[in-house]
Amino acid sequence: MPLHDVGYRPWCGERRGPLSAILVIAATGIRLAWSSRWLRRAVFFAWSPAILFAGSFFAFEQAVDEGRLGAMRTSARMGRNLDGIGVLGAVIADALGDTVDPAERHGGPEAEVYRTRRAVWSRLLLLFMRAPQAILLAIVVGLVAPTLVSRDLRARAWLIYFTRPVGKFEYVAGKLLILALLVAAITMLPGIVLWGMGVAVSPSVWVALATWDLPLRIVAASVALAVPTVLLALAFSSLTAESRIASFAWFATWIACWVAHTSLATADLIARPGGGDLAVAVDDGPEDDSGGMGVGEGNRGGRGRGPSGRPGAGVDRAMRGARESGLALDLRRVRWLARATGLDAAVDRWAWISPYHALGVVQAWIFGIERRPEVVLPPVVSLTVVSLLAVFVLWWRVDAPARA
Amino acid sequence: MPVRVAGVVKRYGRRTVLRGVSLDVPPGITGLVGPNGAGKSTLVKAILGLVRIVEGEVRVFGLDPHARSREVRRLVGVVPEDEAAIPGLSGVEMVAYAARLSGLPGTEALRRAHEVLDWCDAGQERYRPVETLSVGVKQKICFAAAIVHDPRLVILDEPTNGLDPIERRAMLGRLTILARDHGKTILVSTHVLPDVQSICERVILLAAGRVRLAGTIRELTHPPVPEERLEVSGPVDALVDRLVARGIPARRSVGPEGVPESVILLRLGGDPRALRAVWDEAAGLGVGVRALEPARRPLEEVFLEALAAAGDGEVVAHAAP
Repeated sequence: MPLHDVGYRPWCGERRGPLSAILVIAATGIRLAWSSRWLRRAVFFAWSPAILFAGSFFAFEQAVDEGRLGAMRTSARMGRNLDGIGVLGAVIADALGDTVDPAERHGGPEAEVYRTRRAVWSRLLLLFMRAPQAILLAIVVGLVAPTLVSRDLRARAWLIYFTRPVGKFEYVAGKLLILALLVAAITMLPGIVLWGMGVAVSPSVWVALATWDLPLRIVAASVALAVPTVLLALAFSSLTAESRIASFAWFATWIACWVAHTSLATADLIARPGGGDLAVAVDDGPEDDSGGMGVGEGNRGGRGRGPSGRPGAGVDRAMRGARESGLALDLRRVRWLARATGLDAAVDRWAWISPYHALGVVQAWIFGIERRPEVVLPPVVSLTVVSLLAVFVLWWRVDAPARA
Repeated sequence: MPVRVAGVVKRYGRRTVLRGVSLDVPPGITGLVGPNGAGKSTLVKAILGLVRIVEGEVRVFGLDPHARSREVRRLVGVVPEDEAAIPGLSGVEMVAYAARLSGLPGTEALRRAHEVLDWCDAGQERYRPVETLSVGVKQKICFAAAIVHDPRLVILDEPTNGLDPIERRAMLGRLTILARDHGKTILVSTHVLPDVQSICERVILLAAGRVRLAGTIRELTHPPVPEERLEVSGPVDALVDRLVARGIPARRSVGPEGVPESVILLRLGGDPRALRAVWDEAAGLGVGVRALEPARRPLEEVFLEALAAAGDGEVVAHAAP
C-alpha cells in the first residue's frame, strides 16, 4: 500500500525513437542471460586461453629483444619445437619457417623483424580466435541463444513486444545484439587485449603503428565469427517454443558438421598415395597442395608460388628438418593436435561443410594467411547461404504467433 | 472517432474470419462480445496492424495501423487474454520494461511503473518474478504494463479472468476511471456479459465474422413494450395477484435458471393512479418496496435473440462448449 497514492496520472514526457527499443531489448536480455551461473563460468573460462597466448607473445618479443630471433629461426628450420612455448611453439616455428626464405629477404634486419612479427602475431591471433575461442563461442552461444526467442514464444512475450512500438527489425536486432556482445566479449575483446599486450611487451611502442591493422582484423574476424553463428542459433530458437530442442539442434549441427567434415577429409587423405600417414602426406611436396588451409599455409598467396610459398611450406620444411633430426614423432603429434583443432595444413576441400572449419578459412583470409580464392570462396558462399537462410527463417518465425 | 473499421475482410487460407466488419469505437467504454471463433481476436489484431486485411479499411485515431504500426501502437495499450510475461523479470521490472519499449526513458519508466502498480494495488507482489505470481496479480501486472505509457486507446481481452469478486470490481472501477476521468477509449473483449452491462456504454456483438448488433446498452436492453421493474420483499405472488385483479398488467420475473425472483414486471403506462394502486396494495400486504425503475432486458437475452434472428444457429452451437 503506497503512503500517498496519487492515482492514475497522464504521462506526457518525450519519448525515445524506435531504435532505443533495440538497446532496451539487448540490455535486458544480457542482464537475464548473465543471471545464469553457467554463462558466467563459460565467459570467465573463455578468457583463460588468452593467458596462454599472452605467454607466447611475451616469449616471442623477448626473443626479439634479446636478439635470439636468428636462433629461433634456425630451430624452426630444423623442425624443433620451440622450447618454453609449448604447443604454440609449432605456430611460431611455422611462421618463422615461412618467413626465412633468403630469396625474399629484403629491407634489412629491421624489416625482417617486422615481417616476422606480423607473421607470428597474425598466426597467434588466428590460432587464438580459432582453437579455443570458436569452440567456446559455440558453447556460450549454445547456452544463451536457444532461450532468446523460444522462451518468448512459450511465455507469449511476443504479445508484449508486438503490441508496442517494436517492429520485427527492432526485436531481431535486439536479440542479435545480445549475442553479438557476448561473442565480442569472448573473441574480439581478448584478441584486442592480446594485441595490446604484445605491443606493451615489444621493444618499442611504434610496433603499435606497424601492426595497426591487426586490431581491425581482429574485429573483422569476430564479426565473421558472430554473424553466421548468431543468426543460425537464433533461427533455431525461433523454430520452437522448447529451448532444449533449440539447444539440441545447435550443438547437433556443430557436431554433425564437424564429424562429416572430418570423415570426408580423412577419406581424402586415405585415398591419396601414402594416405594414412599425415606426416608423409603433408611432406609429399607440390602434389599435396590441392587446396590447403590454416596456419601452415604460405602467406604469399598473392605473390606467386615459390617452393616456400606453397601451402604448408613452413610446416613441411619443419617436418623435413624434424625427420632429419629425429623429431618427426613430436611434430606429428603437434600436427594431430592442429588437425583436431581445425588447423590442419593439409588438403581440405570440405571446409565449407562444417561451420567451424568454414569460419576458420574465412578468419585465415581475414588475417591475410589464406589468400587463394578457390579455398576461400566455398566457405564464404556456404556461410553466406546459411546466414541468409537463417535471416529468412528468423524473419518469418518471430511474429508468426501474432499473425496466426 | 478513435477506431473506425469499414468493410474489413480477413481470411486465413480458405477460412474467412472477418466478413465485411464495419464498426466505430467512440471514446468511453465499448464492449466487444461474441461466441468463441467469432473473430474478436482477429479484429483486435487488425486494429493493431498485426494481421494484413484482405479488404476494407481500419483507422486508429485516423492512422492506418498496418502502414503506421509504430505510431498506432504508441497510442494503444493491450491487455492480452492469456498470460504474457517476460520470464526472469519481476513484476515491476516487466512493467518498466514495457514502458521502455514504448519509448519512456529508463528512470522515468521505473518511476511510472511504480506509480501505475500502486494505482493497480499490486503491493509487494511486484518484486516477485512474474512467472511465480498468481493469475490475479499477473492480470494486474499485464494491465499496468498496458497503461504505463499512457495510451489513448486501451484494448482488454477478458480483463477479469482469474480475478476474485473484489478484484474484479476494482478492475472494472479502474476502467471506468480511465474512461470517465481521463478520456480514454476502452475496448473490452469479453464473454462476461454482467461486466459489459455494468461498465460499458456501448456494445458490439460479433458472430461468425459479422457485426450482429451494435449500439448503446440503454438502446439494446430497452424492452419492446415499456415496463417497470419493481423489486420487493415479502409475499410477491400475492401482490402480483392483487395488481392483476386491479387491472394492472403484472408478472413475476424469472431468473436465468428458471428460479422466480423477488421482482415484478409491471406496465404502468405512466398512469399515476396505477402507481398509487401499487403503493396501496404493497402497503396492504406488508410488502417492502426496494426499487422501482424502468425495466431492462438482460443483455444475454438480447444477444441470444440477435444470434437467432441472424440465423446463426451454428454460431450458438459453436459457443456451447
